[in-house]
Amino acid sequence: MKALYIEATEDTPYVKLDKEKNIFEIGKRSLPENAIAFYEPVINWLKEYKTAPLSETKFYFKFEYFNTASAKQIAKILLELQEISKIAKVNVCWYFAKDDTDMYASGLRFSKLLNIPFEFHEM
Amino acid sequence: MYLDFVKTLFFLMQDHNLGYIYKGIFTPEVTDTVLFLTENKLEKQEESSKLKKRVYHILVEALQNVVRHQAKDEKRNPFHDSLFLIQKIENRYVITTGNIVKTENIPFLQAFIDKINTLSKEELKEYYMKILEEGTFSEKGGAGLGLLDIARKSGNKLLYKFVPFSKDHSYFYLCVIPTLEDQQTERSYENDFRFVELIHSILNKEDISIINNGPFNQENLITFLNSLEGQMLGNVGYKKKVFYIVIEMIQNIIKHGYIPDNYDKTSVPGIFLLGQIDDKYRILTGNFIENNDLVALKQKIDRVNNMSSKELEDYYNDFLFNFGIDDSKKSGLGMIDIRIKSKHPIYYDILPINNQYSFLSLQSLIYIE
Repeated sequence: MKALYIEATEDTPYVKLDKEKNIFEIGKRSLPENAIAFYEPVINWLKEYKTAPLSETKFYFKFEYFNTASAKQIAKILLELQEISKIAKVNVCWYFAKDDTDMYASGLRFSKLLNIPFEFHEM
Repeated sequence: MYLDFVKTLFFLMQDHNLGYIYKGIFTPEVTDTVLFLTENKLEKQEESSKLKKRVYHILVEALQNVVRHQAKDEKRNPFHDSLFLIQKIENRYVITTGNIVKTENIPFLQAFIDKINTLSKEELKEYYMKILEEGTFSEKGGAGLGLLDIARKSGNKLLYKFVPFSKDHSYFYLCVIPTLEDQQTERSYENDFRFVELIHSILNKEDISIINNGPFNQENLITFLNSLEGQMLGNVGYKKKVFYIVIEMIQNIIKHGYIPDNYDKTSVPGIFLLGQIDDKYRILTGNFIENNDLVALKQKIDRVNNMSSKELEDYYNDFLFNFGIDDSKKSGLGMIDIRIKSKHPIYYDILPINNQYSFLSLQSLIYIE
């Protein structure tokens, strides 16, 4: 499966999705005006990955901040991961900067609403 | 009306082509930020590299001058704050600074500026060298070489006004118009101090320290966010909280703001203000909105304002996973998020403009940590 690498910009995150190398990570700032367009390839990648996932997937979220438009797209990513977790092991590693209680609260919210294991780490 | 000053400021700044205002204590970070923002604007707007350079040099001098002479109160007094404004009039930039001075120093300062205003370029240079050699100047009145240097570089007369505001203190407005040799020099700016004073009085009354008079698009939102970093107090987590709210509020303008016919369509007209009220930051935006959108907006804000934190959380979650409302314009989450993160009701004020659109002012409050 083809890997998906996207470089970070001032308002969009970096994305590293690489099944062969076992890397699943997204991070930095996510403040695009049009979040749907940015996340579309990410979600499509996961939909394809879902058909033949690794036996264990550790997905790292290392956001500095994201806007509400991105929150909804992150929810979509997590729903895909939840789907995958029905057939393989999935862990979400949610990173937040020290003192960033809002980022921690966002992760906590997702963890309560979804049925996949979350780990929380300070950046 | 509670927030009508936002609209007043918006139109005042619009009429006078004012892009950015800062009122407060000029720390090195603030000075850097003002330079950064102005440089950024100059890069985009100004073609003459000669004028760009001249404006930039004068900015540096003018800001240093403000830093040197700003009030050194133990506890901040908003009325003593220094001031910076930049506007573009035709093909020139007009830089206005303000700071308090002791009233007893005014005769000296006034005589000094009047004198340098009569000097030619060569005479300014000679006078400058003479003062440097004598080295006794700066004791008296405080402002001296700085002003002289600004006068030398500006290629234009210095405009000024003193306004008394207490027994011992006055406010000193200085206006510099960097001018190239081939540009016309004669122009009266007398009226413009009046609008500067008017804006200043609103800023004092409302304790507003930063104004960015858009127009907004994604690109200048990011520039502006980067600039805020140096101007905010508090730890990283707290700054982020303020950023989250600033981002949502400005993106709200970008996505939902109405662009009247007489405005450029490439970005959305609007205004952003940051100020304080008691122990809170107040974050304000103003923009046009179509009258058709008003009912839904009011309902949404009233609804989130009246919710308990538990209800807000549930309401947020409903929208978060409701992909029926999910297009590039709307997530349904913005107002709820602002309400949750700020822990305060969202204030709004809607002033009708005509039967098609109105002016919307929004304010969110957040405790200063």
